[in-house]
Amino acid sequence: MELNLSPEQRAFRDDVRAFIRDRLPADIRERLRAGNFPRKQDIIAWQRILNERGWAAPHWPKRYGGADLGQMERLILLDEIYRAPAPIPSVFNVIMLGPVLLKYGTETQKEFFLPKLLNMDLWFCQGFSEPGAGSDLASLRTSARREGDQYVVNGQKIWTSSAHHADWMFALVRTDPEARKQQGISFLLIDMKTRGISVRPIISLDGDHHLNEVFLDEVRVPVSNLVGEENKGWDCAKFLLANERTGIANVGLCRERLDYARELAAHTLQAGRPLLEDVNLRREIATLDAEIRALEITNARFLLTESEQRRLPSFASVLKLKGTEIQQAIYQLLTRIAGPAGLERRTPAEPSLAALNARYFYSRAASIYGGSSEVQKDILAKTAVG
Amino acid sequence: MNFELNEQQSALAESLSRLLANRYPFERRRALVAAGQLHDTQTWAKLGEMGVLALTLPQAHGGFDCGARDLLPVMQSLGRALALEPVLATGVLGATAVRLAGSENEQASVLPRVATGETILAWAHDEPAARHDSVRVETRAEQKNGQWMLSGLKSPVLAAAIAGRLVVSARVAGSSSESEGLALFLVDPKQDGVSLRNFTLVDDSSASEVKLLGAVAEPLGDPFDGRRALSALKATLAAGIAGACADMAGGAQAAFELAMDYLRVRKQFGRAIGENQALRHRAADMLVCLEMARSMAMAAASAVDQPDGEEAALDLHRAKLSVARNAREVMHGAIQIHGGMGVTEECAVGHYLRRLQVLDQLFGDADAHAAHLAAAL
Repeated sequence: MELNLSPEQRAFRDDVRAFIRDRLPADIRERLRAGNFPRKQDIIAWQRILNERGWAAPHWPKRYGGADLGQMERLILLDEIYRAPAPIPSVFNVIMLGPVLLKYGTETQKEFFLPKLLNMDLWFCQGFSEPGAGSDLASLRTSARREGDQYVVNGQKIWTSSAHHADWMFALVRTDPEARKQQGISFLLIDMKTRGISVRPIISLDGDHHLNEVFLDEVRVPVSNLVGEENKGWDCAKFLLANERTGIANVGLCRERLDYARELAAHTLQAGRPLLEDVNLRREIATLDAEIRALEITNARFLLTESEQRRLPSFASVLKLKGTEIQQAIYQLLTRIAGPAGLERRTPAEPSLAALNARYFYSRAASIYGGSSEVQKDILAKTAVG
Repeated sequence: MNFELNEQQSALAESLSRLLANRYPFERRRALVAAGQLHDTQTWAKLGEMGVLALTLPQAHGGFDCGARDLLPVMQSLGRALALEPVLATGVLGATAVRLAGSENEQASVLPRVATGETILAWAHDEPAARHDSVRVETRAEQKNGQWMLSGLKSPVLAAAIAGRLVVSARVAGSSSESEGLALFLVDPKQDGVSLRNFTLVDDSSASEVKLLGAVAEPLGDPFDGRRALSALKATLAAGIAGACADMAGGAQAAFELAMDYLRVRKQFGRAIGENQALRHRAADMLVCLEMARSMAMAAASAVDQPDGEEAALDLHRAKLSVARNAREVMHGAIQIHGGMGVTEECAVGHYLRRLQVLDQLFGDADAHAAHLAAAL
């Protein structure tokens, strides 16, 4: 048992820290530190900087522009990016789609898409959820019928993050309407500029535009954009969702946000005294810090240890549940520290404490997306009770 | 990072689990308690033979030079078995204090018999007035005619009633709240200057109030080297924290397993109660807590073995806080799932909560460690 980093791992961490210190644009850092979401151009700019260093895709093979890092180094890199704070590499491009293409894609697909995914030359969004298929994803109904060397796609996707920014979408579509639920689903890459696609914004609780509905009406997609085999898309989806595990606990994010809570409380005056002098607040921060540490060790323990993964195959649900719970608690704490001064509504572009309220409102989604907390509990109960 | 047990650790954990499964089923433990036994002397002898009590002692004095991480699976197993054996008192606390404070000669005179279990050490440090202030000591040490004599009140002292030697913290100088002027002493409890009021704690384990009135004592190391004594004292408490965390995590594991079994076998309204989503979700919550507790028990052990590690200074406090709270959640859930049976004395599950109640209060409870962390922000 060894919980400390090796000298090589510490050196790697120092490298990452130095790189981020030297290269992260100050305005991006400040925006994120104040609690704002990164802008589209922030995400693109920073990922390109990471890509120059070969770190845009920590876990991809070097041959395709990845860093081919081990699991521990991946954790370190992600942790440092969160702690900076800087935008993390695009989850859709790098964590979700890239590995699916590496495993199931044709050589042509790999050569065309992978470099563009890395450099954010193409921005992908994820077309999975539908009005009738949320936690129960396999009941999706968007159809793709084959006509010659094209699929004709009809249906509706919903909760599609960043569809309004996206150049492309990877989507699950039903190619065999007769087959049982998980069978008959295929994994398609769809150019968002194709005729028949319309994107309608869903304004979320924070007053901002992250989410969309995407309508697909007789959308023609070349068969060459099928990933893997027809009707075997569920395999790609399962593989993709399993790959989310590395980032699922969001340990670095929790650490950075709690650190900001402390900093903000130190600079917030109440009756002329720093709010951080409040014993109850200090204790709340300290307790959250202990919980983050427990999450951090649990995260590393499962991600780095095969025997632990075998013992508890549903470990990702533990990480998602606890990570979400801590994140939501911190986002709420930040609004309490901001106090009345955080209530004034501003546009997202203006710097203000209202960003903390916006983040808090949006954080309520964390226990809903990516498998709601209740679904995670069902999964764990299946392991524990049977 | 690496989270696996090495071969030696796994082998010891396995044989210990076998031993305890054979010798310490819950019914047998109940019978021991009912008969007024403070522990099981035969199991104790076996633990000595297996080297459990010698684990962290120096090789030169019959030990194996191992650390808290080696003790982790051992303490977990003892927690699972609700064992009454005083391993924490002697193998963790007493052994650490004597090893770190005592001179080579002093160690040589005590530790070989501690290693085999023939001598049981008791750690007499806590004082009623100190509550969770871990270095507050009022007990006084004075020299008369070249002989050290101690006076003060120590309570609760685990396993004092069966101890051959007490390791006592006392001050040679300074006032009770100062961290300077402390020293550690070995005291033979069978002398006029020592009187014991023995009792059992809420978990059926044995403890005592130890009254020292001019008790003859041998200093461990130079009694005027307060820095060395303080560092030994703190390291002893740290080892205690790691031991308690491991024990609590082991107990949480056992309580969790009992509850999961019960969910599968107990039927109400014509089906297993484990088919109800409310209970299934409670089980999932308990599983999350259990994993957090396991992780932080590792963090505590690691902090003891590698006190210079980046997170070590905070980790002991975080661990005592986190393990106690998470284990408590598991035990509350386990009792709830057992329904009426869960609150009976004859059902094992509630005894894990009783044991937790003791371990939480040792070496600073969850609130005390939260307060410490809050102050250190």
